[in-house]
Amino acid sequence: MGERYDIAIIGTGPAGLEAAINAKIRNKNLILFGNKELSPKLLKAPKVNNFLGFYNLTGKELKNHFSAHIESMGISIVNERINNVYAMGDYFALMVNDEIYEAKSIILATGVEYTKPLKGEEKLLGKGVGYCATCDAPLYKGKTVVVVGYNKEAEVETNFVSELCSKTYYIPMYIGKYNLNSNVEIVNGKPLEIVGEDSVTKIILEHSEIITDGVFMLRDSISPSQLVPGLLIEEGHIKVDRNMQTNLEGCYAAGDCTGKPYQYMKSAGEGLVAALSAVSYLDLNKK
Amino acid sequence: MIKEVNDINFKDEITNSDSIVVVDFWAPWCGPCRMLSPVIEELAKEMGKDVKFAKINVDESPIISSTYKVVSIPTVMVFNKSSVKETMVGFRPKADIKKIIERNL
Repeated sequence: MGERYDIAIIGTGPAGLEAAINAKIRNKNLILFGNKELSPKLLKAPKVNNFLGFYNLTGKELKNHFSAHIESMGISIVNERINNVYAMGDYFALMVNDEIYEAKSIILATGVEYTKPLKGEEKLLGKGVGYCATCDAPLYKGKTVVVVGYNKEAEVETNFVSELCSKTYYIPMYIGKYNLNSNVEIVNGKPLEIVGEDSVTKIILEHSEIITDGVFMLRDSISPSQLVPGLLIEEGHIKVDRNMQTNLEGCYAAGDCTGKPYQYMKSAGEGLVAALSAVSYLDLNKK
Repeated sequence: MIKEVNDINFKDEITNSDSIVVVDFWAPWCGPCRMLSPVIEELAKEMGKDVKFAKINVDESPIISSTYKVVSIPTVMVFNKSSVKETMVGFRPKADIKKIIERNL
């Protein structure tokens, strides 16, 4: 386990970057998680005309300005996928597979690029629905499990599951070559609903149904409430106050994940507020 | 203090307990369980006078784990005698768990 950072920022869209810039200006020890390409959404924008001072630019050009800005300030991006953030009381634990990062405060700037849960998914979470196959697979020893995989990494987890379960089905949500154990049955079809009362009994697809004890949903990104257990969500967005403070002490959010309008200027502004709020929080808690 | 409970002493420690019991279902291979443990320990220190705290290793207690349908860990349950008053699946912040325990006091 490494050092404990002052501020961990998740997301490299305008909100996360602006938060990082301000945390840096305030001389805080920060870590920024995201992608060198910054934001897929930004890259795809054909034209941005309402970003103050930068007009008539493509998203890509704006992205290059952002990159140059953070580089000039010596901010680097850690390209890791955060699976979970746990509020431990006086610090946060950021789980990256087997690694753990620690930070005194966090800023969530994760955007809104997550898929809606299936019907029945949230109701049956922990009652047969799970998001981490390697975590929960041993509890399905000798049972039937369906894995809904959204990317190639899901195949590795599926193979692990298939070594413990009596029957494993794999529903790929992408096109490609699947590198799966021979005992895994691939089922093609769009999943619609997970059914069960006290526990999962079946998953309904567009043209078929599978009777099963468990369903693992392995998506590219997870919703904020799954990312940070205990986080309060209101109408699909992270609930924040004017200081960008969430319901969890020391946890702030900024950008599209806090609500509309989904605009770069609004995101950047919120990122700034979130960083300054986190700085005040840190100063207040200095021993 | 957190009592280690298994299939054999479950009845003595939980069903026959005078106070409500907060049970942490865990396993050594489960990452989130390791993160939840210190939180439960802190709660045990704070609330240990009114509430009993126990942990059950699901690998070593398959009967209890399947009786109470534990299919994802960590799972924290609040027991009053043999009935389950609350079930929390996955990691939760300390304040959340505390609130849930308190409403069963």
